[in-house]
This record gives sequence, structure tokens and C-alpha cells, in this order.
Amino acid sequence: MATETERLYVLPGDAIDEPLVPRHKKQPLRLGPGLRHIPPSAIVPTVAGQLVVEPRKNSMWMEYNGGRYVPAQNDLVIGQVQRSAAELYLVNLAAHTASATLPQLAFEGATKKTRPQLAQGALVYARVVLANRHMDAELECVSAATGKAEGLGPLTGGMAFDVSLGLARRLLMARSRDEGGVEVLELLGAEGLAFETAVGRNGRVWVGSDSPKTIVLVGRALRETDEGRLDVEQQRKLVKRLVREMR
Amino acid sequence: MPREAEPSLNEKQFIVQALGEKLRLDGREFDQYRPLELTFGDQYGVANVTLGKTRVLAKVSAEVTVPYVDRPLDGVFTIATELGPMASPAFEVGRPTETEVLLARLLEKTVRRSGALDTESLCLVAGQKCWSVRVDVHVLAHDGNLIDASCFAVVAALRHFRKPDTSIASGQLTVYTPAEREPVPLSWLHSPFCVTWSFFGDDGETALLDATWAEEQVRVSSCTVSLNRHGEICQIAKLGGVPVEAVALLQCTAVALTKAKEFSTFLDGKLAEDAKRRNKGGFMAELSSENDR
Repeated sequence: MATETERLYVLPGDAIDEPLVPRHKKQPLRLGPGLRHIPPSAIVPTVAGQLVVEPRKNSMWMEYNGGRYVPAQNDLVIGQVQRSAAELYLVNLAAHTASATLPQLAFEGATKKTRPQLAQGALVYARVVLANRHMDAELECVSAATGKAEGLGPLTGGMAFDVSLGLARRLLMARSRDEGGVEVLELLGAEGLAFETAVGRNGRVWVGSDSPKTIVLVGRALRETDEGRLDVEQQRKLVKRLVREMR
Repeated sequence: MPREAEPSLNEKQFIVQALGEKLRLDGREFDQYRPLELTFGDQYGVANVTLGKTRVLAKVSAEVTVPYVDRPLDGVFTIATELGPMASPAFEVGRPTETEVLLARLLEKTVRRSGALDTESLCLVAGQKCWSVRVDVHVLAHDGNLIDASCFAVVAALRHFRKPDTSIASGQLTVYTPAEREPVPLSWLHSPFCVTWSFFGDDGETALLDATWAEEQVRVSSCTVSLNRHGEICQIAKLGGVPVEAVALLQCTAVALTKAKEFSTFLDGKLAEDAKRRNKGGFMAELSSENDR
């Protein structure tokens, strides 16, 4: 892949060389998380990490494993309902992140009369629709374009595990094995365990299953992958070991 | 002020449900501790204890002061605990939470009130001069079971500590530097350890050792037993929560004794290892200027 060879480690405030910035004829340049545009034309990283440039989409962003989650538009997150206000829920994303708002009508098929009742402490899988720097982020559990939930909504049962932001991001990649180097969930599924997951970009993974044993096992596999920084081969060994222990 | 998120409803329900099926989130047995590690610093009296992700640093220091008026023959011994925002977003400096007060109180009862350190041996000149020994406990990371980890760190640090040697000649007190005279260990009488049980279920029928932070937030009650390896109990604290059967508590203390013995042998081993590392082979070897060259 072209992007693999061009990855460069930068520190906050480093100057980014002009040739690195993609120049597309038609599309405007898109800056992802970790980069800041300082007018007129300077682009400055705000975090330390890998600079990723995608010339086809005319976009660039930073890949980093930071400790604090900062909401960004279109992120999928797992939030925890703090309390309910008149028209919206206040949702906690992470300990050091300001709480986000989730309108009570932003659910599939919700009307003023049939809005979902979420208790304090309930988990929701949501998408960030609005993330401005000095405002609380806004979430939704329904796609504005189709009016369908598309997998978003309240999460019932199961267990939420905390993982590092880097692992959450790698799990969310479209090809998580090739690009992110995580295969642990696929391997667990291949061992015949039945479970479903929801990965939040804010460092939370929800695992649901009928058998608590499976949930514990998936949680342990995720945690050991994360803390031990295992590669795909080590993940395979870990899954074999955990499944053998369970049986 | 950032604050620690309460566990979500899903987490609370799942932890209790899994415990009902004899499962812990990290795959441990109910009476199994997380891996305990202990390292000593370069100075005497610095102990760094990690218990899973919980990390506690204890540092002992000593200075010469005037004894209390009502106890002219005793030295001064204090334990100071500090829970800072580094350990958890819920802790603030200068505003002690309930956890911090309880932790300080339990350490006080376990180590100081049980007479683990012979305070009379800290007296230098009756009513005029004595040693003041102070233990500072810093919690660096909080992932549950602070009490057991801190108590172990305090005992380890105190047993590792050496105070400067002193002498009194014709009413004149001399404190020697480590170069002049080898520092001397404290007069240590017994090593108490805390073992904390957490209870789950409606009647507290499930008992866990070494609960993690997630488990601690869900428990219905807890009980801390402090005892030494001879089975002499210093204190039992069960502060509120759901009542627990007396028979269950008896079983808990029996297991606590085996754990205290394990702690004791582990600490003895580590202290011996550290003494070996520091010992360069006697006085002559230390004075020698030969090297491998």
C-alpha cells in the first residue's frame, strides 16, 4: 500500500513538508483528528504519532494511541447515560471527556410519544454527529439519511470492556487484520464461540453473548492483546490457550 | 472536576451474574490474588508494590525531634497516606475522600496500634530527644484492593528501612552518617498484613479476595482482616454493608491466615534478596579499590 511506505512519525508542532500534503485536483483537502490548520496554509500536528496521508481521498490524519478520547465527527462510540434532561440524554464517553448530548428523538422510529426510556447507567452505541472544539459533542443513534438504526441504539445485557484508544481504532478498521494487525475477534469466532461485539472509538468494547463464559473469554483475549501488544501470530496462540483453558 | 464514571448497568449486572457462575472477569479463582510484585529502591525504606494494576509506593523517613509531653519515653511514628489525581480522576489533593480516610485509619490500626514497631526503641534521651519515623504512602495507580497493597508496602518499607546509628556520650547525642557507621534497622516486633474480602450476592454469600476496582464498585460489603503469620489478629473491620454469616467470616479468617503466611514468606525472601544485592562481601571488599580491569 502506498500509505504504508509514507508513514512518518511527527511530534506536536512539527512542520509538515509541503510535498507530503496531498494535492487533488477536484476534492478539497480533508484534515482528520490530530491535525490543525493554521491560516493561511500551515498544517500542524497537535499530537505525537504517525502521519497518514491518503492521496486518493485527498485527506490526511494522525494515527496515535493517546490516553484521552477527543470526540470527532462520525466516530462510533459507546456512551453511558448520565442523566436525562428535558429533550435529551447526557451521555458520558470517558472520564476526562466532557459529556455529550443525545437527543431523545435521535433513535430509530422515535416520536414524542414513543421515545426510548434509558435508565441512568444504560449503554448506548451511537455516532458523533457534531464535534466542535468548545462545545459538547452531539450524538445520534439513527442514520439521518436513511432513518434506520444501522446497528446503533441501546445495548442491553452483555459487558463493556475498556481497551486503549489505539486498539479500539484498529478494531474499527475495515480490514482490521491487514491494516490494524488485530484478528483476535475473528479467531475467537472461528473457534466456534457465539458472541456479538460493538466497538466504540472512545476505548470501549461491548461484548454480548448468551454464555457469560464466552463474554469473559472475549474480554480477557481483548485485554491481553491490548496490554501485551500481541501481533497476529501471538493472538492466534493466545486464543488457542484461552479456549483450551475454558473447555 | 473530572470524576470516575460509575460502572454502567450492563457491567454491574454482568459482574454479579458471572460471579454467580463462579467466573471472574480476569479468570482468577475466588481466593486468588493478582500477581504481587515488590521492588526496593536504592535508598533504604522505599518499597514499590504492584498488585495487578494497583501500584503503591511507600517511603520511610526518620528525623530527631522532641517527644510528646505525655509520652516522654516513646518515639513518634506516623503513617501519612496520599491519594492523588494520578491514581484516579475521583481523587483530589487536599480533600480526602472516604476511601482515603478509611485507608489511613486501617493502616493506623494495623501497623501502629498493633505494636508492630517498638516505639520505645525510638527514644534517645527521655523527654528530650527521640526519633520521629514517618511513612508516606503514595497510591500511584488504583485498580482496587488499595488496603492490602498499601499495608504490604508499609510493612515492607519499614522492614527495609535503616535509621542512622547514634551514640550518647556524657549527655552529648551524636548521629552518625552512613559512612561513619552502618545504619541500623528498626526494632520490629511482628509483621501484620491486611487481607480484604469482598462480598457479593443478596446475602453476601459469594466472597472474593483481592477485588479489582470494577468488582469493588459492585460489592455489597467488605471485611478487612489484619493478622500476622502466627495467626494473631490485629483488627477486623467490617464497616457497614450487608450482614455476613459468622461461619462465613470464620472461614474467611482461616483463608486469611494462609494468605498472611504467603505474604510473610514472600517479603522475607525479597528482603533477603535485597540484602544480598547490597552486601558487597564485607567491609574489606567495600574498602578495596581493585577493579576487574
